[in-house]
Amino acid sequence: MTATHPSPELVQRQYIIRTLLFMGGYVAVNLAAIFGAFDDVRGSGAAGLALTVTAPLIGHTWATLAYWRDSDEFVRGLMAKRFILAAGIAFCFASAWGFMETYAGAWHAPGFLIFPLFWFTYGVISPFVRTSH
Amino acid sequence: MKNRLKVLRAERGWTQEDLSKQLGVSRQAVNALETEKHSPSLDLAYRISALFGLGTEEIFENPYEVSAPKNVIGPPSNAPAG
Repeated sequence: MTATHPSPELVQRQYIIRTLLFMGGYVAVNLAAIFGAFDDVRGSGAAGLALTVTAPLIGHTWATLAYWRDSDEFVRGLMAKRFILAAGIAFCFASAWGFMETYAGAWHAPGFLIFPLFWFTYGVISPFVRTSH
Repeated sequence: MKNRLKVLRAERGWTQEDLSKQLGVSRQAVNALETEKHSPSLDLAYRISALFGLGTEEIFENPYEVSAPKNVIGPPSNAPAG
C-alpha cells in the first residue's frame, strides 16, 4: 500500500523524449515519401514501406502506456477520460466522413488521418477535462 | 470528496510542491485533491493520513456517513410478541 511513482517531472520528460523520437521517425519517413524517396518501390516492398511508416505509432502507443503507468492516479484518471472522449469524437468524425463519402460524394480522406485526428482532438479537449470524475 | 488538506498543509507551512514530493504525486494531483476535482483512492488516502499522523476520517469527510445507526438486524415487525 505504499506504492510510489517516479518523479512527475522525470515521467513527463521521458514521455516527451520518447514521443519526439517516435514521431520524428514518423515525420521523417513521411517527408521522404512526399519528396519522392520511395516512388520506385513496388509490390511487397511497398507493403513493407507502409508497415514501416506505421511502426512508430506502435512505439508511441507504448510511450503513452508507459506514461500512464508511471503517472500518479490523478493524471491517470485525466488521461483515461481524455482518451475516451477524444477517441469517441474522432470515431464519430471519421465515421461521419466515411458515410459522407459513401452517400454524399464527399472527397476521399485517407485512413491514416485517424491518428493525427485523434491527437488533435485530444489536444483540443484536454484543457476542458480537468477533473478525474 | 470534501477534505481539510489545504488547511492541514498550510498549518505545517508546506507548499503544494512540498506535499506532492512527500506523497510521490504530481503538484497537479495535490491541487486537484484540494479543490475536490479528484477523490483519492484508498491507497492515497492512507498515505495522506500517515503523512499527517491523523485518521482518514479527520482529513476526509465521509459522504456516506449516517447520522444515526439503523437497526437493520432484528425481528421482523410482524413477528409475534413473546
